Amino acid sequence: MPNKVTIYSTPTCVYCNMTKEFFKKNSVVYEDHNVAEDDDAREEMINKSQQLGVPVIDINGKIIIGYDEAALSKLLGLKK
Amino acid sequence: MYELAIIGGGPAGVAAGVYAARKKIKTVLITDIFGGQSLVSEDVQNWIGEISIRGEKLAKNMEAHLRVQEGIDIKSGVLASAVKKFGDNFSLSLSNGETLEAKYLLTTVGSKRRKLNIPGDQKFEGKGVVYCSTCDAPLFKGKTVAVVGGGNAGLESAIDLTHYATKIYLLVRSGALRGDPISQEKATKSEKIEILYNCEPKEILGDMFVRGLKYLDKTANETKELKLDGVFVEIGSIPNSDLIKDFVKINEKGEIITDPRTQKAGENIWAAGDVTDVLYKQNNISMGDAIKAVLNIYETIHKGSK
Repeated sequence: MPNKVTIYSTPTCVYCNMTKEFFKKNSVVYEDHNVAEDDDAREEMINKSQQLGVPVIDINGKIIIGYDEAALSKLLGLKK
Repeated sequence: MYELAIIGGGPAGVAAGVYAARKKIKTVLITDIFGGQSLVSEDVQNWIGEISIRGEKLAKNMEAHLRVQEGIDIKSGVLASAVKKFGDNFSLSLSNGETLEAKYLLTTVGSKRRKLNIPGDQKFEGKGVVYCSTCDAPLFKGKTVAVVGGGNAGLESAIDLTHYATKIYLLVRSGALRGDPISQEKATKSEKIEILYNCEPKEILGDMFVRGLKYLDKTANETKELKLDGVFVEIGSIPNSDLIKDFVKINEKGEIITDPRTQKAGENIWAAGDVTDVLYKQNNISMGDAIKAVLNIYETIHKGSK
């Protein structure tokens, strides 16, 4: 089954961009919510993560906070 | 086995890597990410040769410049976790389990952000206490926030926040701002920014998220409270000198003491950039210092082989 991947990000956040680049490099399909603009997505992010900081990444219901290549690879089942 | 291991991928590390490759020194460079502290800067305006550039773009340019060099090994996405002496050489353990050896070491590992270290600081990190202003400022649209720190980073953070927050308190420990006059002017002119001088943060208050800040107003000698939703911390940084502290001399600030002519810091060890006792912590200066180090390493190698 494919991974369900969602990222909550802001356009000015370099760690968000790095995470998205990591997804692209590894052909990971993801949904991107710009929480600077989208108030509903911001609420959703806060509820899921109890975090007021980006990026928040949801991989099949598991939450990663911040840019963490090792954690992303692990949850996505990527081989190094 | 390498001749030279460079630890760090900020301006100093990348500059050193480029020079070392061109000097055909057998080199490995180890870094978790590229770009150094300016990575998160919204707009860098003092990088000579670029009138205005985003930190992210600057980091990409640096990485690209390094990656086109031939004959340098780059280990990115990993940290050097331990350095030991192994005979005449250094043995480096990496966070991915790898180990490697090098004759000479150049550390350009920079510094990490200084934390507030007051009650509530840790508890509310990511819950209103912010260390990456450009990342999270947009989340504080219509909110009241405080920025702690009257240096360049604090001023830039406060100015950036004027696009989002309705009110920004800028808390300054001393009686004056320290940042560049051009930023001071912008901050003092903004109607949204209120500067509170001689203030010392004492406690972050909140429930699930930040709701306020207790601080000591040193002028009135009175503890006061601000109601707010976010605290942006921009109070400088601490050198990452721990990794090689056994092989060099460290001053009271935690900086590696270097010879300013050669950047030499110990036997077969050089250091450059913000991890050192360089007087001015600047991207442009870090690069120059790292280049001095590589040229001195090159001379050392060639003296040795004569």
